[in-house]
Formats: sequence, C-alpha cells, structure tokens
Amino acid sequence: MSMSMDGSHDTECEEMELFQRHVAERFAELLSCTDEPEAFMSIGWLRKLLDEFLCCEAEFKAVLLMGRDPFQIAKPPLDKLLPELLDRIIKSLDVCNAVSLGIDSLRNIQRLAEIVLSALDQTLIGDGQVRRAKKALSALLSAMLHEDKDGGITKGTERSRSFGRRGNKDKDRSAAAPFRSLSWTMPKNWSAAKQIHAMSSNLAAPRGNESSGLALPVFIMNTVLVFVLWTLVAALPCQERNGLGTHFQMPRNLSWAQPITALQERISEEWKKKEKKGTVGLLEEMQKMEKIAQWLLDFADSFQFPAEADKLEEVKAQVEELADICRKMEEGLEPLQLQIREVFHRVVRTRTEFLHVLDQAAKLNIPAS
Amino acid sequence: MDDHKSEDQHLVAAAQHILKALAASKAVSDDLRKTLLDFDIHLSAMSIVERSIKQLERKIKFAEGKIMTWKAKNSMIWDCGSKESSEYLEAVSEIQAAVHNLQSLNEHDKELLGRANGILQVAMAKLEEELVHILVKHKQYLEPESFANEAGSVDLVNPALIPDLKSIANVMFGSKYHQEFCQTFISSRRDALDEFFVVLEIERFSNENVMKMEGNCLNREIKKWIRAVKIVFQVYLVAEKRLCKQILGDFNDSVYQFCFAEITLSFVLKLLNFGEAVAMGNRSPEKLFCFLDIYEVLENLAVYVDILFFEEFGSFVRDEFHKLLNKFGEASKFTFLAFKNAIANDPSKARFPGGGVHHLTKYVMNFIKTLAEYGEALNLLLADETPADPEGNDDDDSHPLAGEFWSVAATLESNLISKSKLYKDVALQHVFMMNNIHYMVQKAKSSELSLVFGDRWLRRHVAKFRDNARSYERVTWGPILSILKQENAELNCTSSKENLKKKCKDFNASFSETYRSQTGWYIPDTELREDVQISISQKVAHAYRQFTGRYSSTIDEKWKKHTVDDIENYVLDLFVGSPKSLHYFSSSAQILKRDKSV
Repeated sequence: MSMSMDGSHDTECEEMELFQRHVAERFAELLSCTDEPEAFMSIGWLRKLLDEFLCCEAEFKAVLLMGRDPFQIAKPPLDKLLPELLDRIIKSLDVCNAVSLGIDSLRNIQRLAEIVLSALDQTLIGDGQVRRAKKALSALLSAMLHEDKDGGITKGTERSRSFGRRGNKDKDRSAAAPFRSLSWTMPKNWSAAKQIHAMSSNLAAPRGNESSGLALPVFIMNTVLVFVLWTLVAALPCQERNGLGTHFQMPRNLSWAQPITALQERISEEWKKKEKKGTVGLLEEMQKMEKIAQWLLDFADSFQFPAEADKLEEVKAQVEELADICRKMEEGLEPLQLQIREVFHRVVRTRTEFLHVLDQAAKLNIPAS
Repeated sequence: MDDHKSEDQHLVAAAQHILKALAASKAVSDDLRKTLLDFDIHLSAMSIVERSIKQLERKIKFAEGKIMTWKAKNSMIWDCGSKESSEYLEAVSEIQAAVHNLQSLNEHDKELLGRANGILQVAMAKLEEELVHILVKHKQYLEPESFANEAGSVDLVNPALIPDLKSIANVMFGSKYHQEFCQTFISSRRDALDEFFVVLEIERFSNENVMKMEGNCLNREIKKWIRAVKIVFQVYLVAEKRLCKQILGDFNDSVYQFCFAEITLSFVLKLLNFGEAVAMGNRSPEKLFCFLDIYEVLENLAVYVDILFFEEFGSFVRDEFHKLLNKFGEASKFTFLAFKNAIANDPSKARFPGGGVHHLTKYVMNFIKTLAEYGEALNLLLADETPADPEGNDDDDSHPLAGEFWSVAATLESNLISKSKLYKDVALQHVFMMNNIHYMVQKAKSSELSLVFGDRWLRRHVAKFRDNARSYERVTWGPILSILKQENAELNCTSSKENLKKKCKDFNASFSETYRSQTGWYIPDTELREDVQISISQKVAHAYRQFTGRYSSTIDEKWKKHTVDDIENYVLDLFVGSPKSLHYFSSSAQILKRDKSV
C-alpha cells in the first residue's frame, strides 16, 4: 500500500477523497428528489439513479486504473477483492436482464391502461365504454399482481394459457387471457431475491489499514452496485422477488454511505408494506396506477347508466391522472430500458478491462523465456 | 315513446304545412317569407333526422340480434363457416355505421347511442376471442429442417385465414378498438415465438451458467445457438414481418411496424443475451475459432437484421445486434493477439529430446491452418492492423492475411531459436531448426495456407532449412572428413603409417561417437531424413572409400572397423530416434548389430 513517491500518494488520497465525496453527493441528491418528474421511485428518478451509477462507475475506473501500474491492483488485498467484484458484475448482468424483461411487462400494462383511457376519456360514458374499460382494468390489475411468479404464469384463476376458455365467470372480467404477461423469462429457478442476496453476502467493509487503500473504492463500488440493483428489483417487476432482503449490513460510520443508507431504509419500509400483497413493484407510476385502476374498477362494477354528473367529474379526474401516468411511461420506459442496457454493457467492459490488467500483472510475474 | 314521437311528427308536418301556406300568401313581407322558409327547412331536417333515427334503430336492433345470439353461444364463429363469419362482420359493420351516424347527427339520442356502443363492445370482445382462436388454431409449426430451403416463403399462419384476419382487423380498427386488436395479436404472436425457442431446443441460461460451462457443453450450446440465430433472422422473423404486413398493411405503415417490433423485441434480446455471455468468456487461444465462427455468422446476418429492423421501432434491436457483432470482433482480435503472445512467451525450459519437431510448431501450424479457413472474417477484423513485414516478403499480390501469418511464423521461429539454444551441441541446434522450419514449410504448402504465405516466403524458408542442414553437416562431419583428408605432401609417404593408424583410430572414435549421439536424434520427416542421410553418406562414404582405397596397402585390417558398406548402413541409423552404439568386439556382434539396424 505504500506508494512510490509522496507526491503520487497525495494525489491518490485526494482522488479517493473526491470519489467518496462525489458518491455521497450523488446519492444525497437522489434522496432529496421529491418533485416531478423525478419523484422518489418514479421512472424519472430511476433514470437519474442509473445516471449517477454510471458516473460512479466511471470515476471508480479512473481511480483504480488511470496511470497505475498493473501490479498495484493485482496485489493483496485487491488480488482477492477485485475478482469478487468482477464476479458480482456477472451476477448483476442477470439482474439487468431480468429487470429489462420487467419493463416489457410494464409496457404491456401501459397498453392496457391506454385502452382504459380510450374507453373512459369520453363525454358520453355508457355501458359499452364501461365494460370495455372493465375488461382492460381487470387484465391490468391481474398483470400487476401476478408479475412475480415465474414470469407471470399462475395456476388457475383468471389467467390461463388456453385461449378462448369458457366458464361461468363474469365474462367481462375473465377474458384477461390474451393480455397476460410474458413467459420464458429468466431460467427456471432463477430468483432476483436470491441473486441480490448472493451479491450482498461477503460484502464487508475494509478494516484497519486496508481502509485507506484501494480496498475502499472497491468496497464503495460494490456497495453502490448492489444498492442500485436492489433498488431496481424493488421498483420493477422481476422474476421471483419473494424474500427480497431489506436489511443490509451498511457501515454506519462512513460519511459517503449515509445517503445510500437513508435511501435504502426508505425503500425497505415501502417494500415491507407492499410485499405481502404481491406487488408490481414500488415504481411510483405503478403504485399510482394501481390505486386509480382499483378505483375505476369499483366505479365500473357499480356503474348504472346514466351516471351522476359529479361521479363523472371524479372519473374524469382519475382518467386524467391515468393519462398523465401513461404519458410518463410512454416517454420514460424505453429510455429506462436503454439505460439499463447501457449499464449492462458498461460493467461488462469494465470487467474486461480489469481482467486485462490483472492478466498483464500476472504475465509480468512470469520470467521471459 | 313511439306514440310521443309520432305525435311530434304530426305536429311538425302540420307546422310545415302552415308555414308553406303562409309563405305563399301575398300578405307576408319578403323578410318574413324568408324566415318562414328557413324555419320550414329546419323542420324538414328534423324529420329527416327523425326518420334516420328510426332507420338506425331498426338496423341496430337487427344487428343486435345477431351479435347477442353469438354472445350466448360457446362456439367460435369462425369455426362455423364463412357464411356465419361474414354475416357477423356485416352485423358489426352495421352497428359501427350506426354509431358513426348517431354521433354525427345533431340530435343526440343518448340512449340509442349508448345501446349501440354497448352492442359494439360485445361484438369487439367476441372478435377478440375469435382473433385469438384463429391465430392459435391456424398457427403453423415449422421444423427447423424445412427452413433450410424455404427462406422467406414460410407461412407462420395458414394463408387461407389471412383474409379473415384482415376483415377482423378492419372492423376492429374501424370501431376504434385497434388497441385491443394489436394487444391480442401481439400477445398471441409472442407466444408463438416463445414456443419456437422450444423447437430450437434453446434453453434459458443465466450469465453465470454460461460462464461456468465447460468445453463440450459450451460448444454444443453455441452450435445450437448459431443454428437458431440463422433461422430466426433469415427465415422466421422475415415471415413474421410479412404476416404483420399482410394483416395490418392496409393501415398506416407504422401500425404493422409497431406490432412487429413489439412482438419480436424481447425475443431477440433474449436470444442475443446468450451471445453476450459467450463473448464474455475467457480469451484463451483455443476460443479463437469459436469467436470467429460466431463473428462470421453474425456478420452475415447483419444485413438481414438491418432490413428487418430498419424502422425507428427496431433501432434498439439493430443497435444491440451490432454491438454484439463488434464484441465478437473484439474478442477475436484480442484472442488472436493472445495467441501470438502465447507463442512468443512459450517457455523454453527443457531441451526438446531428439531435436525433432516441437509441440509448439505443430500447434501453431495446425492452428493457423484452421485459421486460414476464416480468411474472410479475419480479413475484416485485421485489415487495419497488418504488421510490416521485416523479411520483405511483401508484395502487391500478397494475400491480405499474409502479413499476419508471416508475423506469426516469425514469432514462432524466434521462439524456436531460443529453444534451440538450450542444446549444447551446435549441430543439434541446426538439426532442430531444420526440422521445425521444414515442418512449417510442409504445412504452409498445404491448400489454404500456401495461398496466404506465398511463394516467396516458401522459397525463403526452404532455403533456411537447407541452410540449417548444411550447417549441421559442416559442424558434425566437417571435422570427421578432415580426418580422412590427406595433405598432398603425405600422399606417398609410407612413414605416415602411424599417422594413418591414428587417423583410423580417430575416425572410428569420431564416427562411433557421432553414431552414438546422433542415432538418438530425430528427423521425423522421412524424405528429409533420407536427404540428409544421403548427403552425409555421399560425402563420408566417398571420403572413406577414397581414404581406405588409397592406403589399402598401408592400413592394417585391424584398424579398419568398418567397410564402406558398413558406413553407408550406419548412416541410415542416424536420426531415427533410437539411440544405438557401435561395439567394437567380435565381428559376430557387429553382424548382429548390423541386422538389428536394418
């Protein structure tokens, strides 16, 4: 850990200080986001989260690689810590893919909501429009609640693979079959919760004299990586989130970690509240949509033509809000998906670069033939 | 209600009558007349509306009957023949038209409109079910084998049903239920696509799984994946897009393009993800062929992908595909470099026994022989990076890969020279180099490689190994030959008997020593071995014959251990790789030896 010259040591310390500070600042900003369009856990907020992650990642790479002798990152404790990080990166790729598929589900939900809008965004609301809306609403709510089970296929009840299935059920509600979510998602026994758990285990803060060396930025990067992915899993539909951990062993005394810890606590709270019901995720737009959809479904169930004027006013208000959410999704989901893909590619590249450097270091140890 | 209406109608008719009469009266002013006539027109319009509404009501009632009957049934309309389905569609069109007309009339009969909309919704829901039913029932499963020759002409849905699907689309779009149509269509087609994964026997793997896969297993999966990727982009998706266009082509282009993108996006990404995982694998030289295989395939498919996904909707897929292609390009380049470095850094620790062809030489030459098969792909990848050729083999007719391959050969040679220095015996160093360069030349002469290496390189390297052969001869046999050489002054000198005795002794010792060590040396190539042996034989046997012949009177038989024939035979034992020694005991032992050595 001793550096060659005092000058470079100072620069390095400075770099690491800056890195810590930037991390703290970035996540503090995320913590304080409350307004639209970046309300906490909204699409906009998640995009910001990913932006910040990419910035952290870039800075991390700079701190560890720029102008540095390969030897320095190949010797203890990095000789063990770096491969662990690279391993976490591989695990994180699966999470990225799972979450990306989750966004597909959201898009599906968006389309259903848009049908509801077409049905109810009218001056004259009659039985036809209401039944149309009801059909889409049932499918929508169904899609929201059943996301987690192995790609959304549930046994029995409203959803079935056999199309055109008949029964004695209320036909308007039951024809959700064509709108079910995607199958063939992640490998059969893959679980986002387990994956996150695996990534967060063994994540221990460096102690003693290791805590001022390169082990620290590695630890920070690990923490940020796990946190960001955990947040994505909590926010977006994703295969098998049951048992998603809500408690992380976060270092309390480190200043850079405080905003992250605060965010994590806030998200955990929310998660615990919703987990029991089975949930589409904590995404703000989905939470709002669920409420609106439920309200509108109740309205539809009790609808008698003609509806009262003030009821219609309420419907209009709900529909407007729903339209607003759909707009946000239309504008934000694809960019979000692109960003997640960008994260995927970036961490792969980072991994390759680190492997390359470690390889160089290993070669330098072999005497030339 | 009806009574009320007909009362109204009577009133209106009466009013119009009065109006007309008044207007015709001379007692009315021009202005008033105009007003009265306007009023009359107004009232006329009203009655037209009244009559229209009555008409519409009848139509709605008729269509309602049809539609509600089907709602109650459990069966599918389209299973019951084209008469039923066209009648149903007609009924829906009537309702559609009724709704449209009611909306455009100034008089909004809210109840009637509501009723019409209600019926329309029932019809739309039914049509959705019918749509799903048709798409599932008439889905065509296709075996991958049949794809090989039918690129582009595959039908994913029974073509006979296309007109029906189009009719349903038209009706649903016309009723502004296009969203339901698209959602249902997209969902159904997605399922079909997912099923195709099963047909292709592609399993889902997590990145972790793939990274952990070992050799054979991984190769198997890659093979399956390559096959899948080819079929998917060249045949299946082309057919899918065509299907979308057939059914939805009547509407704005963006409709079928949108549907196609929604159907395929997720599927393609999942397919590409396996490739991403493979590209992340370790980059040992053995992986080079795998990477190149995939690179070649993706490179060839790029044009299909660009065409399939050229619209805005498909840009994400297109980008991801090209990113993956580039990754394999990078991986290939990197692995090729790793290969070259592995050659350069191959450790030279132990002497290679016998001076034969080193494993490294075989490995490298066989490696690049296989590599030459990827000529095109390599060419694309390495085009900008051809190293300058220090040996000046370059010329304008050179194969594009020549530079790279010469470079590899040069690296190999360099490493071999290091290895040769491990031998203490300089002669063996030469034999070693001769063997290895000869091997390189033999391999380089083979089909693909000869085109790459070119004549000049071949000639140069033939000269090299011959050089080494000559150097070997000089080092080993030079001294021995000089023993047998006579200086002119001693030609006729009989007192050189001691001299001769010594010469014989020296010769025997040297020859024996050489025999002992060099029978253990190895020249694997029989032709080369023979050439070397013949060359030695000619010189040595000749010199020996000359020597023994010239001094036959002086030389004691005891001093001569060998005849000329012996020498020639012994030479044949050299470089065979089984060490022998000459024992100068009884002549019977020699005979035995001779027999064994043949």
